[in-house]
Amino acid sequence: MSKYSDDPAWSDIVPLPQDDGGPNPLAAIAYKDEYSEAMSYLRAVMAENEMSERVLGLTEHIISMNPAHYTVWLYRAKCLFTLSSDLKAEIAWLNPTALKHLKNYQIWHHRQTIIEKLDSADGEVTFISSMLEADSKNYHVWSYRQWLVRRFDLWHEGELEAVEGMLKEDVRNNSAWNHRWFVVFGNEKMEGVDDGVLEREMDYAKAAIYMTPQNQSPWNYLRGLLRYAKLPASTLKEFALEFASPEKPDEVHSSHALDLLADIYAEEENKKEAEKALDLLAKRFDPIRANYWNYRKSLLELPAAAS
Amino acid sequence: MATQQASTETTSARLEEIFISSNRIQELSEAEDIEDMESKSPEPLHQQMAHLDLIEQPLRDNLVTQSSELQDETLAAILPFLTDNPFGFELNSYGIPKLQRSKHIAFLHNALGKYPPQFAVMDAARPWLLYWSLQGLTCLREDVSDYRERVTYTFSACQHPTGGFGGGHGQLPHLAASYAAVLSLVIVGGEESYEMIDRKAMWHFMGNMKQPDGGFTMAPGGEEDIRGAFCAMVIITLLNLPLELPPNSPARVKGDETFLTNLPEWVSRCQSFEGGISSAPGNEAHGAYAFCALGCLCLIGEPSTTLPKYLSIPPLLSWLSSRQTSPEGGFQGRTNKLVDGCYSHWVGGCWALIEAALSSPNTSATSSNNCLWNRAALVRWILSCCQGKKGGLRDKPGKHPDAYHTCYNLAGLSAAQHHYVYLPERNTGLDEGPLAAAFKWDVADGGVGEEDKRVWDEEDEVRVVHPVFVVPWGQAEKCRGYFERKEGF
Ligand SMILES: [Zn+2]
Repeated sequence: MSKYSDDPAWSDIVPLPQDDGGPNPLAAIAYKDEYSEAMSYLRAVMAENEMSERVLGLTEHIISMNPAHYTVWLYRAKCLFTLSSDLKAEIAWLNPTALKHLKNYQIWHHRQTIIEKLDSADGEVTFISSMLEADSKNYHVWSYRQWLVRRFDLWHEGELEAVEGMLKEDVRNNSAWNHRWFVVFGNEKMEGVDDGVLEREMDYAKAAIYMTPQNQSPWNYLRGLLRYAKLPASTLKEFALEFASPEKPDEVHSSHALDLLADIYAEEENKKEAEKALDLLAKRFDPIRANYWNYRKSLLELPAAAS
Repeated sequence: MATQQASTETTSARLEEIFISSNRIQELSEAEDIEDMESKSPEPLHQQMAHLDLIEQPLRDNLVTQSSELQDETLAAILPFLTDNPFGFELNSYGIPKLQRSKHIAFLHNALGKYPPQFAVMDAARPWLLYWSLQGLTCLREDVSDYRERVTYTFSACQHPTGGFGGGHGQLPHLAASYAAVLSLVIVGGEESYEMIDRKAMWHFMGNMKQPDGGFTMAPGGEEDIRGAFCAMVIITLLNLPLELPPNSPARVKGDETFLTNLPEWVSRCQSFEGGISSAPGNEAHGAYAFCALGCLCLIGEPSTTLPKYLSIPPLLSWLSSRQTSPEGGFQGRTNKLVDGCYSHWVGGCWALIEAALSSPNTSATSSNNCLWNRAALVRWILSCCQGKKGGLRDKPGKHPDAYHTCYNLAGLSAAQHHYVYLPERNTGLDEGPLAAAFKWDVADGGVGEEDKRVWDEEDEVRVVHPVFVVPWGQAEKCRGYFERKEGF
């Protein structure tokens, strides 16, 4: 019994079977009959640009067999909008589907399209949080969250607190660090931040480094702050010296501190100390990157203006 | 029949991370490795292993979090492959497993064959399967011209009447599918392959994807991200499409004139505070997107001009360099994530582009030993850890090989084994138009430094890959030349 060809509700449609281009196509898939029949009906309705309830049902059926089928998702969205379907019902249907297919690109884009049209972010942050509990570094979920914050102006709606919660769980979660940056500095309508915010962010990153001196995420965050505020690297000299010094090679706790110190000494035109720091990195604390550290050493030979 | 692991779990994951890998949290004890551990190597690898010093981790924090636990578990699964030879591969003269060339060739031929029903989740990704397999095969010096006819008609079924290629018959056109299709046709080459592309319709499709903010969406109504910017410029360059926007383009309607309008500025906005590049402005820096960004800028102009103009180089360099993991030697895609073989290309492939940006124009080949990264460590990682016992290459020990990781591990191997130079004055025999920049690369093998740090023999070498197009050396030029000589569409 075939789902569509035996159904009177579909009797007006002549299915369009798959054309493989030739007798022996490459990477051909031996589809199940159920899948190829449904796809044949989809091709037929798409050729007629049919937008209807039965097409929505058809797309749901195909998605259940292949959630990675971008065409079906895009056509479904078009269909929902044409029919002025209940978009809240669509989101409710999407929730369990998304949890089942955590890594799926299409589901997240579809969700974004629907929420954009719905013009409401109600419940979205809660849903995102539950997704991140299952997979705390999921790129699609974080990208969607960033879109949502920007689209609905959620900069001051608990995002910072949420990120802090996640970093408390795992201070090495770089996706959470990125989101923190986004929430604090990512609002393009904002004109700079005041010194209080800058200081708060510095302190936050420093506290994380005290917990995990070899964790690159907060070091990158600190470096980002320096560039953002156009501060000299020497702003962090005392702090960096707490974790390493070229003079005490047996008491190095962080290669990232040595890296920063090399920049600080270069800035101070203290070539000798900068070289010492870079040598320690190349030879002892981070030898896999020896070529890079040696390149950095070669930059010390250039006139200060060029570096 | 494809003998690759056909569980729905791995296939859907493969599909869902098309183009980028997402470093899934996965258990690392899969049956294959445990089985294979029993066959021990004839001689212990660690006695002759080059660069054993890299296996140390001199600095480690004590605080345990989910990230560090996962990292420790992963390293525990990897270490036997770095210090020993669990699969019992024959070793090269440096004590590292030889490239299992014939096994990988068989694996990739097989990946072009038929797939069982559970691979329906790959239905929208068949163009990728063709590209990964063909590119991987040519990397291994295999002649793929016998596939030409089948490649051509397989893609004829994927071409959309309104322009561009979709994943298959009746599927909507998509920039990723179009990229994979065009590259596959470039790889097999020949007039019939080139001529099957409806270039005029492709131009219209590209125009539809170009957005008023400068970037490109992947499909009509699809997401806008940096893959779009890269894929579009690769296609426009290879097919020698007009740079003017077609009248239907949403960007044209706004008043923009060419595909390049606001494009490098848009790419520039994707550089994150970490120095790396993200999929779209505001997102997290990621290795695959870094390659797309650098590739896009190297298509638009000379690397030494466009890269420093649109990206801040010192933090980018620091970020790229930090992606090489120790002790594994491979690359991770993001800060504090796990090493993964596909980044051998996505990050490994960035080096040629950024090194070219840093060297002054027209420097001779001798300056190419000015290497910024650790080639030997990457080669060791790929040969020791990423080769599947029965052929094909993989994400890491514990994972099954697939065409995607085979293609990009081999491209990374090529990046480590060959040196490129960028010669702005190089006479290519091609037009000196606005998109001529990507045809000025040359290979500078031989007489270069690093000889003392080699860990591969000649028989472990793979072919030179074009650093921007990621097709066999010489194939991109042929396609571009063909369409330059052609009048009109
Ligand atoms: Zn991967």
